[in-house]
Amino acid sequence: MKKKILVVEDEESLRLLYEEELMAEGYEVLTAGNGREAIQQLETGKPDLILLDIVMPVMDGMEALGRIVGKERKIPIILNTSYSGYRENFMSWAADAYVTKSDDLSELKKKIRELLGKGKAR
Amino acid sequence: MVLAGGRGERLYPLTRDRAKPAVPFGAIYRIIDFTLSNCLHSGLRRIYALTQYKSTSLNRHIQLGWNILSAPLGEFIEAIPAQQRIDEHWYQGTADAIFQNIYTLQEERPDLVLILSGDHIYKMDYRKMIAFHLERRADLTVAAIRMDRNLSKEFGVIEVDRDWRMIGFQEKPEEPQTIPGDPGGILASMGIYVFNTELLVRRLIEDARSESSHDFGKDIIPMMIGKDQVFVFDFRQGDLGGTGYWRDVGTIDAYYEANMDLIAVTPQLNLYDSQWSILTYQPASPPAKTVWIEGGRVGTALNSILSNGCIISGGNVKRSILSPRVTVHSFAEIEDSILLEGVDVGRNARIKKTIIDKEVQIPPGTEIGYHLDEDAKRFTVTDSGIVVVPKGIRL
Repeated sequence: MKKKILVVEDEESLRLLYEEELMAEGYEVLTAGNGREAIQQLETGKPDLILLDIVMPVMDGMEALGRIVGKERKIPIILNTSYSGYRENFMSWAADAYVTKSDDLSELKKKIRELLGKGKAR
Repeated sequence: MVLAGGRGERLYPLTRDRAKPAVPFGAIYRIIDFTLSNCLHSGLRRIYALTQYKSTSLNRHIQLGWNILSAPLGEFIEAIPAQQRIDEHWYQGTADAIFQNIYTLQEERPDLVLILSGDHIYKMDYRKMIAFHLERRADLTVAAIRMDRNLSKEFGVIEVDRDWRMIGFQEKPEEPQTIPGDPGGILASMGIYVFNTELLVRRLIEDARSESSHDFGKDIIPMMIGKDQVFVFDFRQGDLGGTGYWRDVGTIDAYYEANMDLIAVTPQLNLYDSQWSILTYQPASPPAKTVWIEGGRVGTALNSILSNGCIISGGNVKRSILSPRVTVHSFAEIEDSILLEGVDVGRNARIKKTIIDKEVQIPPGTEIGYHLDEDAKRFTVTDSGIVVVPKGIRL
């Protein structure tokens, strides 16, 4: 069965890019435009992994991270950001991996394979 | 961080409308006053009290009584209600309560976090524990008190090596590990923890991301033994009275006994120490007084504690504790009882071994504590025969 990835990203062009690239890798992709939508998707879509942007409107990635961990304790979460100060934020330590935003998605894809391969997902 | 969400279920009905830290104690105090006073005298003046369950009474007490620190100096005592910011449920355990307030730690970014319970009565200089923590270069230091071995089922029992490094922890064991060289004694965890902040956050996140009861005693401490530097601080090193006084007052019987201890000539818990005064909130009331001394109508109070605003008007009070504004009318008799704020005892009433909650009016001629079978029909009566008259009852 295809593994399901939830992409949480407020910038539409980026969201589409991740969606296409990850579908090409053979994953099923769900999307959300902010933290609140991500939490709804968590309940309805039952993803196996979450790719989470930090700076977003409505509910940012750090708050969403705390809430996701409170609901689905073991789901792997990758923080995806262009902002480097996030490690100052205690809640960021709850993520399983950190990827810096880049045009080249090979590092991101590698991290996804690693985390899903660990059998840690649901 | 003071954990002040305790339900105190075994203190029912005193906890029907209030959390355990807000339960009145020692005539004029609330249980949490002891922990908060310890903080103040220990120089710890950036304090969060984490509340959740039935917190109105506690919040009011903190606002009215503890609004005494200097905000311009960065000092505060702030009650944080469960914000359900991470989870829409109540806190699942003591560790979850701190985890859900990780944002608060984030904003403060202290080097060390002292985690306390608002449920206990004792006097302790936390500075000594913090100095011990730094001296041992510990990641976590847990305070412990010696208890008799036969009480092990009521406590988290700590096992130490000769250097007071923690090597084991059992939650309420039947067969406890005893203190080296003291086979009759155990080290009971007092629920007092000093953590290095970063390590606390890491362990809380690990715990949050695993199946767990999210409790310091059951989950976090066992996970840290053998992995991190965990040391045990002997309460006797920080105990101010030198008497080893520490009470959980978890049950009505324990609550009654701990209150009654205070009417001894020299109680173990010294409330008269001006160097370590216990602060509280008291509305302004006139001094206590006794009136009538004619014929058989004499107002007396013997071996008792009387608070401001009490009037013993031709009644007799023996071995009892009266909170502020209690009135005892003529020919009424009060023995071995605890009367909370605003209680009014009518003429000829007789009260024995009874706890009466706030503002209850006892009609003239009522007898409580003399016929326990009858009392049990309307009140809570414990196995040892203490009657509790709840708040709001109309008699």
